[in-house]
Amino acid sequence: MTETTLRQIRDRHQIIRFFDGYAIERMEELDERKLKRPLVKSQLLEILDGDEVRTPQGLQTILSRRGVHLEPLDEWLFLATDRQTGEIGFLERLRPRIVAIYSTMKSDDFRRCIRHFVLRSPEIDHVLLSGLTFGVLWELVARLSRPHRFTRLVFTHDSIFDIDSASSELEEGEEETFQDSGEEELEQVIERRATSFRLIDRVGVIQEKLEALQKLYSPLYAISQMRFPSPVGRGGHDFYDNGRVTNRSESFRDHRSHLLFVVRIYEQLLKSTEEQAWYSIQESVAVPGQFRKIVGAPVVIRFREPLTPSVFDYWIAATFERKRNRFRLWGHPIRLGPTKVHVYGVDRHLWQPLFLELTAKGCTAIIPNGTCGNTVHRLVTNIQRYLDPGAEAFIGDKPYKQMVEESTQGIPYDLDTE
Amino acid sequence: MTSIPSEPLKDPLFQLNAVLWLTQPLPDGGEIIPLLYARGFTVYAIAPLLGPPPDLRLAAQQAQISMQDMIRPDVVLTHEGDRKFAFTECKASSFSPTSSAAEQARSLLVVAGPRAAEVLGLAPGDISESLLAFVIPEDEEKLLARTLANLHEELEGNRLPAAQFSVLGLQLTDTDVSIVINDLGSAFFALPSGTNPFMKREPDTDPRPLYFIPYDPDVVHSEQEKVLSKRALFERMQSTIVAATGRANPPTELALESQKILNDAMFGMYGHWENRESARHMRRLCRQFMDALTQAVNAVVLGAMVFQPVEVWKISLENEEQHERVIDALTRFSCETLDLRTEPQPGLFDDLEDRGSVQQD
Repeated sequence: MTETTLRQIRDRHQIIRFFDGYAIERMEELDERKLKRPLVKSQLLEILDGDEVRTPQGLQTILSRRGVHLEPLDEWLFLATDRQTGEIGFLERLRPRIVAIYSTMKSDDFRRCIRHFVLRSPEIDHVLLSGLTFGVLWELVARLSRPHRFTRLVFTHDSIFDIDSASSELEEGEEETFQDSGEEELEQVIERRATSFRLIDRVGVIQEKLEALQKLYSPLYAISQMRFPSPVGRGGHDFYDNGRVTNRSESFRDHRSHLLFVVRIYEQLLKSTEEQAWYSIQESVAVPGQFRKIVGAPVVIRFREPLTPSVFDYWIAATFERKRNRFRLWGHPIRLGPTKVHVYGVDRHLWQPLFLELTAKGCTAIIPNGTCGNTVHRLVTNIQRYLDPGAEAFIGDKPYKQMVEESTQGIPYDLDTE
Repeated sequence: MTSIPSEPLKDPLFQLNAVLWLTQPLPDGGEIIPLLYARGFTVYAIAPLLGPPPDLRLAAQQAQISMQDMIRPDVVLTHEGDRKFAFTECKASSFSPTSSAAEQARSLLVVAGPRAAEVLGLAPGDISESLLAFVIPEDEEKLLARTLANLHEELEGNRLPAAQFSVLGLQLTDTDVSIVINDLGSAFFALPSGTNPFMKREPDTDPRPLYFIPYDPDVVHSEQEKVLSKRALFERMQSTIVAATGRANPPTELALESQKILNDAMFGMYGHWENRESARHMRRLCRQFMDALTQAVNAVVLGAMVFQPVEVWKISLENEEQHERVIDALTRFSCETLDLRTEPQPGLFDDLEDRGSVQQD
């Protein structure tokens, strides 16, 4: 294929054709182990609900505040550019609150570019897939794929609050993604639990062993990447916990279908999290204006093993005494005991209030009405990643995992439905 | 550092919030066992303003029994399936039949009695059984039960139908907090008679859960408890302001009204206070906090935050850089630096604000 600039592509049909052809070329290059250009990757982003997100012009305004220019190709499809990068890719609204940016940029450049505007925007957030959510998605992969197909899972857990962490490691930084390293000899000696490994095997084999392995070794609950094998050919679609998805298949249409499948589940999950967890004082139906009752449900996260007092102290200090902390939280902890604090704080990414009780055994959160469901997903994801990979979460008395499972009910898994 | 009061069981805010947690959906095996939610009880109304029916008030007057015309039980619980209603009142200690608290208790006994459906504006068949439940430290339980028995007898003796009552005693041990419940309460709430643990407790740890209602100006509590609840209220106001500022897109001017700040911090309960003095007290608290916050912000970005009478604070966010600096100043400020024991001073605009809040009602 001759080099095509994204600006030459003028409509949806041409985009699909371009990316389909591009995907086939990359697969051929992968077969020859000579990748000449980067793979197609998509970044799924959640846009905070509000008036602006409901119109294409509003969406353009939200992105333009972060220096990203959206040039419309059709109602909800845009060419995304910025001054620094030039052509980023195509942005499509997949669901009312979720957009995807399709790009052929190099992986690191794309990640930096997305991070640059997401971190500064209270209206834009990554789609966050926690280990618990991946656990349910894995069950879908096992049902949807033939047992002989190969898949890939990555597990990432790093007990950064455990002991001798260098201070910089406790601050938010580049998202870590699994990379092979040829510099193992240079690896720093850090004595704490850190799990990051890749598992490639047949779907049937993993399905048979995974649950038992997870019970033996809890970091295996912390799935941070997972491949949906492509039903139309070789390879598949690699979903990352921060909403990035790499197309390692021959078909862009299939890639987009998988994005749609997962974001429909995610949108449903956001909706049910917010519906159940939002706390407010509401008027009683019986006598409006007279009686008020409290509605909502707390978010409860329970650790499999209690944290030691020193880990608890380090977690609290590293989170609330640092502006740029991994949990992206702000607040002034009120100490109620050696391993218990109350924090009437804020999710620093979406700037939403969040009231927390943090103890060595877990965390209880009260989410005021209007707080985005992503705040809950970030909390669960970070706790699994940095504190307890086997942590259980509940919204009220309902297990979070059950909520994810219910969010998958009735979501079609077919191609070209939208 | 804010010191933690040692006797939470006597704190009516602890009692109220504990009752609210008992009605929340929670997973099995957790730190709080939602005993009432598990038996089907939910919150029907928080602090509803209720009054005994006029004929009963007249009857009380004729019998020279003093009771309050209007009362606010702390929380009314309901079991929708069984059509049961529990009018719940939290008290730090017992009281004598001649005290002012007894006037309130008489009204509660009447309101929660056989005419409860009428009082709540429901059809007669909507309530199958009602009860007045007092929550009190367990060591005061017997004394209060005796007082209530006296009041009940007095009302019934004067043909004033009164509610059945139960005293729920709160008990604190090294390992948990429990409700001690008598036979009548046990039958009503379908809980075992005796001690029912509902909150686990770690050694040397205050059992207070997160508060839904962090502050109540109408509650009388110790100085230490007042400081703690004021701290929680201020922290929640600060989180409201930090969140609103973080979400703003400069260049813009953010207008923060005391009514909205207080409602956000109190889950909307502020708008519910008809008591003008209480509402005024809350606005003074808001001003006390906001004045200190304004000073802290302006020390970093001169003139970025200004008070605008009647009750609005404006934050100017001219550009990204200033936005960042204002957020830094707002987040660095800690209400621990304030003297939380000092009562807020009357303000020049109190009367104007009263009118403003009345108009908004």
